Amino acid sequence: MKTILICEDDFALRELIRAAVGSAYRVVEASDGNDAVELVREFEPDLVILDLMLPGRSGAEVLAAMRADPKTAATPVVVVTAWTHIDEDMLAAGASRFVRKPFDPDELRNTVEELLPEQ
Amino acid sequence: MSQLAAPLPRGRPASLAARMLLASFVLAVLVAAAFAILLLAVFALREATERESRAKDVTAASLELEKLVVDLETGTRGLAITGDERFLVPWDEAREQLPERLRSFEQLAGPDLVQRRRARQLVALIRAYINDYSVPLIAIARDTPAAASSPDAVFEGRQRIDNIRKEFAQFRDAENRLAAASASSANEESRRSIGLAATGLVASALLIIGFGVFLARSIGGPVRSVAAGATRLAAGELSLRLPRGGPGEVGELTQAFNSMAEGLERNRTELETQNAQLRESEQLKSELVSIVSHEIRTPLASVLGFTALLRQREVDDETRSRYLEIIETQGHRLAALLDEFLDVQRIEEGQLELVHAPVDLAAVLAAQVELFSAQSEAHRLELTLRGARLRVSGDADRLSQVVANLLSNAIKYSPEGGLVEVVGERNETVVRVSVRDEGVGIPEEQRDRIFTKFFRGDAAASGITGSGLGLAFARAIVIALGGRMDFTSAAGRGSTFWFELPAAEGG
Repeated sequence: MKTILICEDDFALRELIRAAVGSAYRVVEASDGNDAVELVREFEPDLVILDLMLPGRSGAEVLAAMRADPKTAATPVVVVTAWTHIDEDMLAAGASRFVRKPFDPDELRNTVEELLPEQ
Repeated sequence: MSQLAAPLPRGRPASLAARMLLASFVLAVLVAAAFAILLLAVFALREATERESRAKDVTAASLELEKLVVDLETGTRGLAITGDERFLVPWDEAREQLPERLRSFEQLAGPDLVQRRRARQLVALIRAYINDYSVPLIAIARDTPAAASSPDAVFEGRQRIDNIRKEFAQFRDAENRLAAASASSANEESRRSIGLAATGLVASALLIIGFGVFLARSIGGPVRSVAAGATRLAAGELSLRLPRGGPGEVGELTQAFNSMAEGLERNRTELETQNAQLRESEQLKSELVSIVSHEIRTPLASVLGFTALLRQREVDDETRSRYLEIIETQGHRLAALLDEFLDVQRIEEGQLELVHAPVDLAAVLAAQVELFSAQSEAHRLELTLRGARLRVSGDADRLSQVVANLLSNAIKYSPEGGLVEVVGERNETVVRVSVRDEGVGIPEEQRDRIFTKFFRGDAAASGITGSGLGLAFARAIVIALGGRMDFTSAAGRGSTFWFELPAAEGG
């Protein structure tokens, strides 16, 4: 079973993302940037769903920390954000996909499945 | 001079125009006086000259008259002694000329009264000589020549003639003395007049030069400096001020220039301030748009996302009910957000209506601390109440919002596990509430803007959510209820926000 790390500070959205990706994955959750970096190291997840506005360390800092570590440098990262104008920067920083709030749960699940093909 | 200066208002220097008129007037009088003195000297000299020539005429007339008298005497004596009628030829000629000579001599005898009297006396003596001596003697000589040539008769004639000649000599002496005195006084006077006039003219020339220098310095200089100032002012140097002073209108000119520069500078400063405020307000508006967009998107994402889940996926009843609950909560959150924006808007327009009812702040604090303790497991909230009841007059709902905003900020800006201390106490006539956190603190340079709408410090960069309205809203409420709100803080060591409200009677 593959592991997905969800980094989102809003309680309701965290639950929505968990419900959207479904029960086919093991889900680990972080509500701030510092937790997120720790959990990435601990679980080495197969995919990370990352909110940009996080307390502690921001989403961009979490992404930079991941890309700097060889073990997680290639891990797919789906950025979920309410902002509309930082796509280019985040792509350059190594984001795999973007999902804009509000999002369709099925669309998020499709994106996740696309990035984590069945072996 | 005093007449010109007197009507001017006191305590103010005479106007420049009045001073120039006065100076011109004084100069004109001075020059005219100098010329008048010269003119008088010329008249005096001419008079002296006339007097001298008349004195010469009178002297000449007296000499001729004397000669005639001598001729008469010679003729009279010659006839008396010799009896020869030929002696009477010059006598007759002299007799013939005599009346005319006497008249002209009397006329010429000058304006001097003494001389005139002398002349009249001479004329009388000469007439007496002819009528009382010469003519009778000639008649006697023709009748009785011996009687006429008697020593007595000759002696009387000589005596009369000597007397007349002595009078003539005295008359001429006096005439010469008078002429000499008149000439010397005329000389003296003209010399003094010329000296006086020359002094006056030199003084006038010096005054004119001084006046010119005064004009150049008191008008030319300041006017040049005003012109140069205007050029610099036009070039944008609005802080320029000219040195004060200068006589009359020139002083007024520099003063008017300075007021103009002051006005221009004030206007520019006002414009710059307005401009800066506009720019800031524009920036705040654009920040607001992105903040509102973000703040609305998060609950909206939950509402739409869970709604989609309910429609797209098969879920059991328990899950369905949970999703609906979340949708409802997030819907309320959106509504609350909207209310917050509207409240701030109303406060700004002075339209927020506040209830004034007795409120126990101790109860408000207890309720809010309990609410936030339940929401945030990561922070420790500690409530200390000094006094059982902290009564104020106000709006319980709005005061709850104020406390909630302070607590929410203390939690948002503090590390997990941080302590948030809430204290409620009564000091004399006020109830004071303070909320202390161990958070990031507020840098000194942000101090002035912390209660500004939409100002969020470094929050956006640190990923801390919020609208930036909380503190602005909270302080506006406290002020509207007659209280005040402020904070103390040290960057990196936490902040203490506090507010005070007047304590209610019997609280």
